[in-house]
Parts: sequence; C-alpha cells; structure tokens
Amino acid sequence: MTATGSQEPRDPARRGPGAGTGPRPGPNAGPDLAAQIVLVARGDSAAFDAVFEQIGPSVFGLVKRVIRDPAQSEEVTQEVLLEVWRNASKFDADRGSATAWVMMLAHRRAVDRVRSVQAESERERRTAVADIPYDEVIEAVESSLERERVRRCLNSLTEVQRESVTLAYYRGYTYGQVASLLGVPTGTVKTRMRDALIRLRDCLGVAQ
Amino acid sequence: MKNKLARTSKRDAHTLAGAYAMDAISAPDRDRFERHLAGCEECAREVASLREATAMLGTAAAEPLPAGLKERVLAAAAVTRQQPPVDEAVTRPHPRRVTSRVGPWLRSLAWPGRLALAAGAAAVAAVLAVAVVFGVTNGSMQQQLDQAQASSQQIAAVLTAHDAVMTAGPVTGGGTATIVMSHSRRALVFTAQGLHALPASRGYELWLIGPAGTRPVGLLPAGRHGMTGPVIASGLRPGDHLALTAEPADGSAHPDAPMMLDVAL
Repeated sequence: MTATGSQEPRDPARRGPGAGTGPRPGPNAGPDLAAQIVLVARGDSAAFDAVFEQIGPSVFGLVKRVIRDPAQSEEVTQEVLLEVWRNASKFDADRGSATAWVMMLAHRRAVDRVRSVQAESERERRTAVADIPYDEVIEAVESSLERERVRRCLNSLTEVQRESVTLAYYRGYTYGQVASLLGVPTGTVKTRMRDALIRLRDCLGVAQ
Repeated sequence: MKNKLARTSKRDAHTLAGAYAMDAISAPDRDRFERHLAGCEECAREVASLREATAMLGTAAAEPLPAGLKERVLAAAAVTRQQPPVDEAVTRPHPRRVTSRVGPWLRSLAWPGRLALAAGAAAVAAVLAVAVVFGVTNGSMQQQLDQAQASSQQIAAVLTAHDAVMTAGPVTGGGTATIVMSHSRRALVFTAQGLHALPASRGYELWLIGPAGTRPVGLLPAGRHGMTGPVIASGLRPGDHLALTAEPADGSAHPDAPMMLDVAL
C-alpha cells in the first residue's frame, strides 16, 4: 500500500486533473454508445457489433478484475453482453449514460458470480480476502489518458477511502467485508464509500 | 420487514448510496435501499451520478478481448430473443422510479390469510435458494441439479436476478413452500420441504392459474430428505396464482384435487 493521498485534499487545486473541466461523458463512449444501444433494442445486429467493439474490452477487463479466473470472466462477459442485447429496450438515457448502464450490468454479474463462489466455500472466501489490490489496480490502470485520470483521482482520495473503493469495486466485497478487512466499523465504511465516490465523481467530472 | 424498514432512519439509508453504487451490499440491504430509492428522487439522482464515477473505474480496467469471444456472443445474440420494451399503453411507471425492475404485480406478492409472509422465513429461503443452486447443503440437491442440467441454468438465472424476491409459507396438509420470483424474468422457482408423503399413485402438481388461463407447471420431482424441487415456472402473467394440488402420479391437464397452496403472484 502506498502512502500517497493519505491526507484529506481539501484544496480544490489538489482535487485532480478532472476538476474544473466541467462535466464530460464517460470514457471512450460519448453519446454514440447510447445511440447504438437504442438501435440494438430494435434488433440491429450491426449496432450490437459496434457496441461490443466499444464496450466489450471494458466489460471483460472489469469482470476479470473482480473474478480473476479468465475462463469464468469470459463466461460472465458473454452473459453481460447478451444481457445488453436482450434488455437493450430497458436502457433509459434519462437515468444515466450508456457506459454506466453496461458497466453496472457487468459489475453486478461479476459480483454475483464471486459471491456465489463464496457461498460455496466459506473457507476459500476467508483465505481469498487476505490481499490488498491497490498496487495491482494502479498498475493495471496506467496506460492511457483516461486511465491516468482515474489513477490521479484515486490518488486524490484518502487511503481509507481508496481502499474502501478498490476492495468493494474491484474485488466485489460488501461494505461489511471491507469493514472487517480494514478493521473499521461498518458505519464508517459506508460513509467513506459514499464520500469517496462523490469525490471521484467530482474529480472525474462525470456528474450528470 | 416493515419494522426493519421503520427502524432505518432516512440518513442511515442515504449513506448506503456509495455502497449501493458499487454493489458492495448484501441482498437484504440492497432490497431495503431500493425501497428507499423508490421514494427518494434526490437519492436516485445521487446514485446515478455515483454510477457514472464507478463506470469509469470499470472502463479503466479494460483489457483486450480473448480471441473468438465476440464471435461467440454475436452468434448467441443471433438466436436470442430480445425482451420487449415497456408497453406504454399498459403501464404507467413513475417517471423517476429507479426500482422499476420490481413491477407492481411482483410487489403485491402476498400470501393470503395464514400464509402470511414471515420475515424469518425469507431469510431461510435465501439460504435455501443458494443451496438450491450451488448444492451446498446436501448431495441429493446436487444430484437433482445434475439431472436437470438444462433447467438449472434457468433456475440460477431467476435466483440471481437482481429483482428476485423470496417468500415462504406453509402448505395445507404439512410442509413449507418457498418461492423465489423474478419479475424481469417472468419466472419463479418453487421448492418445498416436508410435504406430506403421497401414495405412489399420486404426485404433487404445480399450476399457474390466472386471467391467461390455467397452465400446468409440472409434477414436483420426488426429492430426498423431504425436499422437493426446484421447479421453474416461467411465462408468468399479471394476475397469476400459483397453486399446488395432489394429482394422479402421471399428472393432470387440469387441477382436480383441492388446492393445498394458492398464492397470488
């Protein structure tokens, strides 16, 4: 665990590279993805192909980050994209970006998968919660401007905030599990998670 | 359930927004928070904006796709029927409701009279549901699943649906029935435990009865350790009831025997 960002960066100048640049759409998505998904809802397979090209690597990357096992990650990625195909008509642009919608489906399915596995083997679960993913996450997100921005924004969080977010989001732990890992009360973790996401949102400039 | 809700202060529920946006939340907490969201527009907006932030955490993890994955998905999509959109002429959803996945008919799920839903039973059902899918309780459950490999995927899909709702109640003549229903999948999974043993010439049969007609779901497979099912009933329609009767062992086209269970869905 690195020590960066262990202080509360109250100074707006330290909020990160996204601060003050105004709202922007999700990464490599634009309004385009939403338009494609509307076409997918009408059964347009070419549009589905385009959606896959655009968001497939993100879905697979996130799912794999949570699940780890490549074969299972592939399976879940397939389920997620098929869910996009089947439920494209449920996408509602008024409620959020298309990227957020697809990534929500992806994350939920990945989390469902790891929690099922956890239910299967409580003992395995206990040994699996031993490591802290932050450094690996940072390594993984270092390679494009978008990733750089996410990395900087993650660094703008306090350490507990950052740990709460990465353990929950990239590992699929519940706030209760995060609390026991970090040795802090569940109420604290809930608050940290919300504060952290609000700060990330503002830093990334993705507010609706 | 109601008591638990009442005990949750608004502020308390509100702090769950972050955990909820990251799915870092147990199923009961998720249901509780979604009920809160349904009546809190501000919270729904906050969650939506936090989801935008988590989406960027997700896309930052992008990785090159394994070879052939896209082709497999496109091929699967080509033979997969798409869900129809909301029928504007039929439903009038609240414009801002985030929990629209839980439709009105699902919400009205209630056990009439003495079949009243017990909160404790729901928790038991949750454990049972997991057991049903993953065979963590006993070997016979696993065997049943192995035998019903085709339907087990469907069953898993219902049990892991984000809008899955569980309920349990007693069966006339003995035993407990557990239902896990998903509105989005228009399907439910039925299991029962401790049903009165029938003579070999009779079997338990499950029915869907409603405005769309009476449809046999199927005979409950004879289970071991007093456990029957799981049985999946799909193609649920608004106004359907789920009913259980004891019929001749090879099943009936219409329920002839008295209802041992009648649940409005």
